[in-house]
Amino acid sequence: MLEDYKEYIYHCLKCGACRSAFRVYGPTCPSGERFGFDSYYAIGRLEIARAVLEDRLKLTDKTAQRIFTCVSCAACNEQCYPVMGLKPLEVIEELKAAMVEAGAVSPKVRDFLENIQKYGNPYGESADNRAKWAEGIGIKQYQPGDKFLLYIGCVGSYDTRSQQAAKALGSVLLEAGVSFGILGTEEKCDGNEVLRLGERDLFEYLAEENIKALKELKAKSIITLSPHSYNVMKNEYPKLGADFEVAHYTQFLRDLIKNKELKLTKGFKIRVTYHDPCFLGRHNKEYDAPREILSSIPGVKLVEMESTREHSFCCGGGGGNFYTDMLGSAENSPGRIRIREAYTTGAEVLAVACPVCTTMLEDAVKAEGLEDKLAVKDVAEIIIEAI
Amino acid sequence: MYDKQHILEELIGIVGVDHVSGETEDLIPYTRDAYATILRQEVPLPDFVVLPKSTDEVQRIVKLANKHRIPIYPRSFGVNIAGSALPYRGGIVIDLKRMNHIIEVNEETMTATIEPGVTWDRLRMKAKEKKLDIIPIGGPYEVSPVGNFLLTNITAYSTKYCMDRAVTLEAVLPNGEIIRTGSQCTQVGAELNPYFRYAYGPDITGLFRGSLGNFGIITKLVIRLRPLADIEKNLYFGFDNLRPALNTMQKIERLEITRTCQLSNKDVAVRFILHPEQFKIKSEREKISRQLPEYSLILGIAGKTTKQIELYEEIIGEEVRRENGKSIEIKEAIRQVWDEVAEGCSQKILRMFEPYGSFGTVVGCATVSAVPGMVETVEQLVRKYGLMDTIMDEPLKPELLVIPWDRCSTVYVEHEILYDPLDTEAARKATRCLRECYVELFTKYGATHTMPNQTILRLMMPSYAQLLIGIKKLVDPNGIALAGGPYSFELGNEGGQ
Repeated sequence: MLEDYKEYIYHCLKCGACRSAFRVYGPTCPSGERFGFDSYYAIGRLEIARAVLEDRLKLTDKTAQRIFTCVSCAACNEQCYPVMGLKPLEVIEELKAAMVEAGAVSPKVRDFLENIQKYGNPYGESADNRAKWAEGIGIKQYQPGDKFLLYIGCVGSYDTRSQQAAKALGSVLLEAGVSFGILGTEEKCDGNEVLRLGERDLFEYLAEENIKALKELKAKSIITLSPHSYNVMKNEYPKLGADFEVAHYTQFLRDLIKNKELKLTKGFKIRVTYHDPCFLGRHNKEYDAPREILSSIPGVKLVEMESTREHSFCCGGGGGNFYTDMLGSAENSPGRIRIREAYTTGAEVLAVACPVCTTMLEDAVKAEGLEDKLAVKDVAEIIIEAI
Repeated sequence: MYDKQHILEELIGIVGVDHVSGETEDLIPYTRDAYATILRQEVPLPDFVVLPKSTDEVQRIVKLANKHRIPIYPRSFGVNIAGSALPYRGGIVIDLKRMNHIIEVNEETMTATIEPGVTWDRLRMKAKEKKLDIIPIGGPYEVSPVGNFLLTNITAYSTKYCMDRAVTLEAVLPNGEIIRTGSQCTQVGAELNPYFRYAYGPDITGLFRGSLGNFGIITKLVIRLRPLADIEKNLYFGFDNLRPALNTMQKIERLEITRTCQLSNKDVAVRFILHPEQFKIKSEREKISRQLPEYSLILGIAGKTTKQIELYEEIIGEEVRRENGKSIEIKEAIRQVWDEVAEGCSQKILRMFEPYGSFGTVVGCATVSAVPGMVETVEQLVRKYGLMDTIMDEPLKPELLVIPWDRCSTVYVEHEILYDPLDTEAARKATRCLRECYVELFTKYGATHTMPNQTILRLMMPSYAQLLIGIKKLVDPNGIALAGGPYSFELGNEGGQ
């Protein structure tokens, strides 16, 4: 309950650290950069939370606009925690939960949640189509006895661009001789965005369904395509009785490469910059695995952006925004800000390790008119070219 | 009163529909800063918040406000422990963070020309590209040199690079006219040579220093930078008692070889060093506390060669030893934090307000000899009000920072009284203690603050107050700038304190 976060709310010093990354000066908050008013940064959202607690503000669609545009990237936590020991995102997500409870939810967020409830995915697509991306490439349904279960997630399953990343990953695993399978049409939304949006009951339902499916299959080791899935399976599912190991695919493949079980022999001379996805990087502190993979490909020169690792600037896709698009695609939308930064590195490829980032950043490349100059590729897509 | 819908339409015409709002959710965040939290002060919602991008837009907003007599409250980032950017009478909050260009970093003149939405951190990054650096202040990294430094007269960390770094500026006066100061006051000067402050008579740039926005909205500032030396180093010394530490600081500052200088007591040093989560653990605090002296003197030196640095260290070391001080041996992790704080415009400086994020700041600028008495006075008053450190479960010991001005001819003394804002009784006592501290320091030692407020205006000699009020009336005939606030240069104003 919001009341439980009174300490956070009243101890906010209004210092504004949540608005800019120390020593990097990069932008931190996607919605803040997009809209500009303090109400779209953590500093303002905490004040909104205080006003709600003190009954000075009722929860309306206008409040929803300010709150649900938070993409849960945790950049505010990253700046605030070392200084004040506060995690503003926890307050913001609690506020979202309060708004869900009160029925004060943006229409697009409502659609997102309703689609997941009805169809098991936010796109409103039939569950029967969930594994269509895997047809004809030799990826099979997980059977008890398979060593790994590859969990794809909604974006990788249904978004046409991200399906390419799913196919690439599947192909890499096949090439490496890994024993794995997918859940196929039995897979349900992992619930990470549902939880971020504050719909906790729906999240519990989804998690319990997925955990049940995994238990029935006796799956003990999960590899995820998406950091969103990785985050929620690693940090939330165990609270609901999950008992399996989970790794993001970059962690898994990095180990295969290190152990020489996957050999990347085909080199190509190319400058690559890497975008840290929020749910792999900031939320789970995994910054190195993707970089180690990229650095191990012959000929690849890895160049870093200014806002990197814990200071990485979010693509803007989290908190369901890859679907709700509440941040839009104006010049100061987060994806375009990030693409402009990537472009200044001189890299020809922007490597990503998240299907949400792939979709958001590729759209941003097009909006910036940089299609001929900068290609967005999932790390799995780069690896398959190097095998 | 004015027609809000009409004003909204006018503002949209100036800045565009995306950069103005009258929605409650957008207005609420602008009604609070750290000061309002301390004093549990509620200010009314403004009518609008507007985000201009250029001097032209600012001017048009101010002219509109004048026409309809609408109060205006400009702010860069609004990071404030003094309540000087709150909308005491509603009106229009002018949020300047979109004006964020660093127009120039000039190696020859060692200046930067910036807009009010530039932070210290960003300016430092840009300056370093040309082997220059900011001349640091004690405040945090994400505040504006315009709001945080120029308009408040806030602490200097260095007397070596001259205390005042403001050179010339451009401002929109509250009457809607534009002024440029110093050598910028002519068109040719503005284009070719905006780098000389003391041009053409009285120091008009100086008039804006400490004005808090009463005389206008700064839209461009030429600010002095310093050269980055080949070798820069921080030295750390400890003292058991305050007086020897002060004596040493004064002697060393008069050698004119330090880049930065600050003196702090153990209570603030422990806070800088420990993460807030660690700070709450008694054993962690005690462990660090045992390693620190009662008073720490941190000095920054800079030079071209190792020989030069070693010579400075030797000279400084001798002064320290004369007063029975000694070099502090500290672990690398602690050194890194202290180096960051000593460099100024840091992140960890904000830890001094942990663990509650709520504090009362007692500021007094006075002579060095007055400092021990001032410290004693504040400590006595803290005991009088029974303020407690609820983590250590013992009487609160106020934090102390002493920063020299102008070769330590005078010093800036800052005490912090920390408390939990959720503890209503503690907040009430802390506020009363704070007020009495200011009265006592003022009456016993003549300790002054850098910022005038309504109370101080009444205590000033009439000619001084009338000068400030008269200038304000001249440039702000409709009384729209900071209207109703505690820092407005007008008497008979019940707003604020």
